Amino acid sequence: MDILIQAFLLVVRPDVIVTILLASLFGLFVGAIPGLTATMATALLVPVTFFMDPIPALGAIVTASAMAIFSGDIPAALLRMPGTPASAAYTDESYKLGKKGMLDLTLGTNVVFSAMGGMFGVAILVFAAPWLAEVALKFSSFEYFWLACLGLTCAVFISTTDPVKGFASLFLGLAFATVGIDPVVGHPRFTFGSIELLQGISFIPAMIALFAVSEVLRQALVIGDPVEQVSAHIGNIFKGIGAMIRRYKFNFLRSSTIGVAIGALPGAGGDIAAWITYAVSKKFSKEPEKFGTGHIEGIVDATSANNAALAGAWIPALVFGIPGDSITAIVIGVLYMKGMNPGPTVFLHNPQLIYGVFIIFIIANLMLVPLGLIAIKSAKQILRLPRQLLIPIILMFCIVGAFAITNSILAVVILLVLGILGWVLEENGFPVAPIILGMVLGEMLEMNFMTSMIKADGSFLAFFERPIAGVLGAMTLLVWAGMIWTGLRPKRAAA
Amino acid sequence: MRANDAICGLVLLVLAAVMAALTIPFPEFPGQNYGPDLLPRILSVALAICGALLIKRGWQARGQGDPWFTRPAWLGVPIKVMRLLLVIAALLFYIFAGDPLGFLPVSFIIIAVLAIAFGGRPFWALVAALVATLAINYFFGSIMRVPLPRGILDLFV
Repeated sequence: MDILIQAFLLVVRPDVIVTILLASLFGLFVGAIPGLTATMATALLVPVTFFMDPIPALGAIVTASAMAIFSGDIPAALLRMPGTPASAAYTDESYKLGKKGMLDLTLGTNVVFSAMGGMFGVAILVFAAPWLAEVALKFSSFEYFWLACLGLTCAVFISTTDPVKGFASLFLGLAFATVGIDPVVGHPRFTFGSIELLQGISFIPAMIALFAVSEVLRQALVIGDPVEQVSAHIGNIFKGIGAMIRRYKFNFLRSSTIGVAIGALPGAGGDIAAWITYAVSKKFSKEPEKFGTGHIEGIVDATSANNAALAGAWIPALVFGIPGDSITAIVIGVLYMKGMNPGPTVFLHNPQLIYGVFIIFIIANLMLVPLGLIAIKSAKQILRLPRQLLIPIILMFCIVGAFAITNSILAVVILLVLGILGWVLEENGFPVAPIILGMVLGEMLEMNFMTSMIKADGSFLAFFERPIAGVLGAMTLLVWAGMIWTGLRPKRAAA
Repeated sequence: MRANDAICGLVLLVLAAVMAALTIPFPEFPGQNYGPDLLPRILSVALAICGALLIKRGWQARGQGDPWFTRPAWLGVPIKVMRLLLVIAALLFYIFAGDPLGFLPVSFIIIAVLAIAFGGRPFWALVAALVATLAINYFFGSIMRVPLPRGILDLFV
């Protein structure tokens, strides 16, 4: 109880409240603009939160990402353009509903079920995380090594349709993480004589490069293409929502549960949760023939799931330091910078911080409804903002943000190199999220791997001797074997 | 600019080879069998495997008529190519001119030039550049105390 009061006092400070309010507006704004994603919102926020205390910093990220995932639904319904990838699964459906004159109901469903899905996710997070942390306290380097391997493997497996390219990205990320002083004996690696590179490639500039600068490059190629303007009128969006909740309560529970689970799996976030729950909804619906013609049921499922996934992703991030999606990958970087190394010991040493994050999660989802309403009402203005002016300002913000972290021009060089790299990789079908996962987990993976190797003294069996490590190791090897098996099997011609 | 998978694979192979070669001079530590070269070497093997798989796949796709490079549509639109190059030039400009000129003029120039190149009206582009530059300078420079380069400002103040 003490801890809860402490956590509460940490949150109800004027600076924290103002920070999360501003972060919400920022998140709503970025999410509503097609092409700017929730991950990008988080990436741009990090330099701003860099100088703050842990609670306002994490609070800003939590609220901004939750708002961005919701507000991605707005342009989906209005313009048939998802604001963030998490809304892509039901963009067509929302737009068709709007065309049928049910725009108000669609937007109302989006905001209410997003908030409810988010709440559901938080509830699971609050109960599951401390319990898992207790289990995780017993883990040694062997367990962490396997957990990191399994997590990274899942990340590649789920988040891309092309595992070979996914793995290549992941290995690239891990390779980037090896730049600098090695964590075991302190030998400099791949620094090419640069003193600044001894600390490694700074994570924040790398992340801004991969998620924001690469997007600026992409936008530079589509800017000026004709864009549809919003003409629809928005009325009372809450009319008929009560009936929706009663009618689809089972859908809501099912999809939120799936959403949390997918969020908690490393590497898969809200976008994948939305695709999967939309498909599940169609499969089990009483009226599947209506899907794709402007039917609200699938939207209820997917819009709940993507917000539930957001909270789910924090479970492995806080407990094991293994990110559940690209947003929590950034969060883990922030936690390390704040000296709160994620892992079960945070729950022992700084439980008030963890509970503070939980409280902010709840506040964020409560605020989502009123702020979401404001965002919907001002959507026309937001979507009319001249992209030609916005994109250059975002680029400048990237530059200063990256520079602010290290106060060195090397950060801008990283921005340039990795920004172009991220853009080229995505053009060629390589996902960039695994690079960030690899960079975040690289040092932890190497630390645990080397410690385990030294402890085991060359005997590979030691990696399986402890019961949990044995199970995790066997699971990892099974997944790898399965992947090699499917990779070697001759493919059908059109595949 | 989409390249055939075989080309991506080849790049990965070269990268893996360079990485492995760079680990050769790493020192041995007496009494310790595993040094700082272990993980990079494992990673270079892993990257090489990915590269080999991609080369195999790209070669097969090549047999079915996939070209070495697919020419993207924007390459035929000079203004789009220019916009893309300008974004890259903006970053280079900041890297080289940031320190001597200082943050204020460099930021103003980057935002204004890009906004006009992206098709914004010149008047609004200049206004946006001025407001955004001052706002960023105030927020990062004054509130968060990031030592943004002062450059030519030092000549006057």
